[in-house]
Amino acid sequence: MNALDIDRLRAYVDGLPNSGLDETRRRAVAALAASGLPSTRDESFKYTDLAEIGALSSAWLKQPARPAIVAPTRQRIAALTAKTDIDWLVIANGDPHPALAHSPAAGIAIERLSEAADPRPVLEPLTALNAALLEEGLIVTVAASPLRPLGLLVIDDAHERPGLSQLRVDIEVTAGQSLEFVEYYVSTGDEPHYSNALLRLNLGEGATLRHLRLQNRAIRHSQTQRLDVALARDAAFTSASFDLGGRLTRNDLNVDLRGAGSRAEIAGLYVSGDGQHIDNHTRIDHRTGPTRSGQEYRGILFGQSRAVWNGKAVVHEGADGTNAEQANHNLLLSEKAEIDTKPELEIHAEDVRCAHGTTVGQLDEEALFYLRSRGIDADDAQRLIVRAFATRILQTAPVAAAKPRLDALLDARLATLD
Amino acid sequence: MLKIDKLHVRTGDAEILHGLTLTVNAGEVHAIMGPNGSGKSTLAQAIAGHEDYVVTGGRIEFLGRDIGELDPEERAREGLFLGFQYPVEIPGVNNAYLLKTALNAQRKQAGKEEIDAYEFLKLAKEKMALLGMDPKFLNRGVNEGFSGGEKKRNEILQMTVLEPKLAILDETDSGLDIDALKTVAQGVNALRSPERAIVLVTHYQRLLDYITPDYVHVLSGGRIVHSGDKSLATELEDRGYDWVVATAEA
Repeated sequence: MNALDIDRLRAYVDGLPNSGLDETRRRAVAALAASGLPSTRDESFKYTDLAEIGALSSAWLKQPARPAIVAPTRQRIAALTAKTDIDWLVIANGDPHPALAHSPAAGIAIERLSEAADPRPVLEPLTALNAALLEEGLIVTVAASPLRPLGLLVIDDAHERPGLSQLRVDIEVTAGQSLEFVEYYVSTGDEPHYSNALLRLNLGEGATLRHLRLQNRAIRHSQTQRLDVALARDAAFTSASFDLGGRLTRNDLNVDLRGAGSRAEIAGLYVSGDGQHIDNHTRIDHRTGPTRSGQEYRGILFGQSRAVWNGKAVVHEGADGTNAEQANHNLLLSEKAEIDTKPELEIHAEDVRCAHGTTVGQLDEEALFYLRSRGIDADDAQRLIVRAFATRILQTAPVAAAKPRLDALLDARLATLD
Repeated sequence: MLKIDKLHVRTGDAEILHGLTLTVNAGEVHAIMGPNGSGKSTLAQAIAGHEDYVVTGGRIEFLGRDIGELDPEERAREGLFLGFQYPVEIPGVNNAYLLKTALNAQRKQAGKEEIDAYEFLKLAKEKMALLGMDPKFLNRGVNEGFSGGEKKRNEILQMTVLEPKLAILDETDSGLDIDALKTVAQGVNALRSPERAIVLVTHYQRLLDYITPDYVHVLSGGRIVHSGDKSLATELEDRGYDWVVATAEA
């Protein structure tokens, strides 16, 4: 059990203003009191130690305060959302109110979670932590395909003291509609920060969602995120995730292929350097057939850093005609970097096509010499090869409107390799 | 142009070259022939500066300067080109990008302005036409999915675009059919000039039917054991390498 101060948590939650979330909060605190945060004895957190996050959360609860959104942050928000051809929702320091200040695009309705009818079920501990401390979330309903992509900019400030923020967004894409959706995580300030995000994406029959996730947190900012995606018949989910920054990053992506003909193509790239730890856990449930899932994650590790990839596909009984592929490839540029990679397949159906492969390699010295023999500097040659390794994931990235930002962020990140 | 003096080269635990001496002047074409394992590729890689090939004795002078301490990229920018026996596939690095970056690195070294995208494309397409290459190769990954012959043509394309002062072509003829061989030879011949030198490293004489060398050397046991003019190549083709090696050892 990790050190999360339950008494302080309970006292803080009791002091929150009454809202429609009260019942959920009480249940969440009770669940956390029983479980604590996951520890490295839990199989799915074997390589990812949340002790730092538990300590940071407890310290924050001792002196809870949400920083005001200062002028430089407002300027940063303005700069990040300007000229992108994307309609942005903004959650700053866990507060979605700035998002509600914008009028949504035609076809999109936004509600406050605190005004929604049903208390939410509390699942695993990080979700419970989110439910206990969350003050407001957003429910987005896409009734008609919008003309422009929808963006979610999440920005956290930790200037004078350590910070803690929760985030919750549910998106429903109704039957036959399509949405392009970008998540973009940034932070400012040199103090440590922990952000805990929960997103749920529901795709109706024949709905399509093209999803891009960019995480470029500051080096002392940690983030855990759970993203649950449910797909009805013939729905399609295409996703690419880029984790470039942050101190500790843990992503849990759960895809539930509920309807026949539904499919998910998931790609991810993580770049982990000195002092970083990036953990991607995925789980894809094929509940019926035919359904299809493809996963390809690539990792670039340098300096003293660590990454974890655990990709699981479960083909349930009766999900005949399922096709599931998983791949994880890693480039280790330093002897001090470590990757733990594990593909998992669980098959309880027939007529199933499944494949998985993982690789861990170093920089191809012959390719490096080849480029150098053409007059290209060793550093540039290395960057070229590393970027080439990332190209496959970049090419699959959906949401064209976010491409320039993605390219710029990746180039800036790779410029710091040494 | 190139002056190699008593060169000793080691790779891994083994010394491969044992005091090799060779002089190549501007305007000359030299062929270095020899049996498999004689050290031909080691010589080519050592001249280009591959760090797995460690110079343990002697020196390599290029344009009057000892290049032993220079990085491979510095040698390339001075005008040295190595055509690889096994060109490396680099998926994700665009062929055109590599060519343009290489050309601009060299131009920068020479104090010239960078070539712009339009001029570059014109130049590249012109050279490709000369080598019978489809311009679509420009947009592929470097050597990605290229056949053996396409890879060799791509080496020659890089050479004709970079116009090096000294080109060393390592077994460029291996794996080529007769048409590809003629095209490659044409590319090499087009580059012959009084200011430039070319070193052909080859096992077989057949490339020399299309590119006439000024000198032919036999490399065996890590040394040049015999030198002659182009007739030596024909003689080697007829009689094999054994007699030269035997004569040298006698």
